[in-house]
Amino acid sequence: MNLETIYEAVLTGNAKAAVTETQAALEAEISAPDILHQACIPAMTEVGRLFEIGEKFVPEMLIAARAMQKVLEIIKPLLVAAEVKTVGKVVIGTVAGDLHDIGKNLVAMMLEGAGFEIIDLGTDVSPEKFVTAVQEYQPDLIGMSALLTTTMASISKSIEALTEAGMRDSIKIIIGGAPVTQDFTDKVGADGFAADAGSASRLAKSLLGAA
Amino acid sequence: MQPRERFIAALERRPLTGRVPHFELVFFLTMEAFGKVHPYHRNYTQWIQMEEKERQLHRHDMADLYLATAERYEHSAIFLHPNPDNVEETRRMVDLVREKSDDRYFLMRHGDATFAIPTGSALTEFVYRIADEPEKVKQEAQERVNRALDRAEKLKQNGGLDGFALCSDYCFNSGPFLSPTMFSEFVTPYLKQLIEGYKEMGYYVIKHTDGNIMPIIEDLLEGKPHALHSLDPQGGVDIAQVKRDYGDRVCLIGNVNSGLMDTGTDEEVIESVRYALKHGMPNGGYIFSTSNCIYTGMRLSRYELMLDVWRKEGIYN
Repeated sequence: MNLETIYEAVLTGNAKAAVTETQAALEAEISAPDILHQACIPAMTEVGRLFEIGEKFVPEMLIAARAMQKVLEIIKPLLVAAEVKTVGKVVIGTVAGDLHDIGKNLVAMMLEGAGFEIIDLGTDVSPEKFVTAVQEYQPDLIGMSALLTTTMASISKSIEALTEAGMRDSIKIIIGGAPVTQDFTDKVGADGFAADAGSASRLAKSLLGAA
Repeated sequence: MQPRERFIAALERRPLTGRVPHFELVFFLTMEAFGKVHPYHRNYTQWIQMEEKERQLHRHDMADLYLATAERYEHSAIFLHPNPDNVEETRRMVDLVREKSDDRYFLMRHGDATFAIPTGSALTEFVYRIADEPEKVKQEAQERVNRALDRAEKLKQNGGLDGFALCSDYCFNSGPFLSPTMFSEFVTPYLKQLIEGYKEMGYYVIKHTDGNIMPIIEDLLEGKPHALHSLDPQGGVDIAQVKRDYGDRVCLIGNVNSGLMDTGTDEEVIESVRYALKHGMPNGGYIFSTSNCIYTGMRLSRYELMLDVWRKEGIYN
């Protein structure tokens, strides 16, 4: 059964098997949306769950994401043709003054694996750049990351900039990073905080009513 | 006893009287404290172009700054950042600091060769290599260890360097970057070789990593390092538990919550200092320090607050 084997290949990060099984599935006339929604996304959701409970680690998450990417490369044109919509659009970035990107990249990867469209602004993203990105891309959600206690204030400044630009009510904001806590989240007025990439994906879906 | 001797006694988990030794892996606030750029932050791209007289002035300036830091903040050890970072400049800096301080301080430099958490695009490249070409990755791990031990051998001929701090970070707050199985395959054997190799040459070895080390702590201790640094409370590492379970095997360094030093109240910083002292000090084998370092952006007043508590309460009866 191709959907199960694709699921298994993505879950275990076996990119070669994921490609072979996807091609076989398409030849067997299994639809691209079914491959996405019944194999890839459930597999990445399971990866996130196992990561959250400490049974999978970052490398396993990354090679699972790579396997999913290989599948997406094959089915993307078919998804576009079928006009399959994403779960939501996310703008993500590490805040001003902070050049760390590991956590931010993992969250982006897991969100993509959960069916979100990702616009990655990179690191050292100024409050103004977040505002411009919202104007340009009109996302449903913004993800902000800070690794350093000394750059956490940039999260607050970015949220203030979005509020001043009159954009705050139209988007959800989630934040994360080593020093970020629920108390800090409440203080700066973000919609949620996630301790790791797996829970970030769950939080994003929950905030957008896609859980 | 000189600070160096007290530091060594702590590393060897021998009982001490007086104040528990203190040092910081890095003290980056040298501009605020002394009006000087930290040696690590200096850009010596024209080093070779300089006249030897000018190079020597720079060496003296850096050595003086290391010593001023150690003296003002009562460090027992100095972590040297040789700049430019090569064997020759390490030798010269070691000799200069030794001469100027009359052997007063324990001297160490960075000496890790094991795989740390990669940054940027190197992270995914590394992970894919582990998955796709594990034997080549292990070969590289071995070559890195060989090079590090070769450099240590050259430094040994000069003498004066007491030890190495192995600063490859392995862990996030949530746990290790690599799964414990991967860690035991791609890091542990090489870390063990490195620690044992340094120790055979007579060096002391401090293994540093931030984050939650508990799932891999046995791996970290396999090569029997003298000390574990930073015992990161932000990663959920409880010094009381580590002292109870591993205090008879390794000296502990750190645990004062550096995150709280930025975001907490004075009371929370004081509480963190007291917790580290209370659980680290009993029976020796503890060196007082933050759970990271005095990094750029930290308030100097918070470090001074931490030291005030240590001066009053970090004393063996």
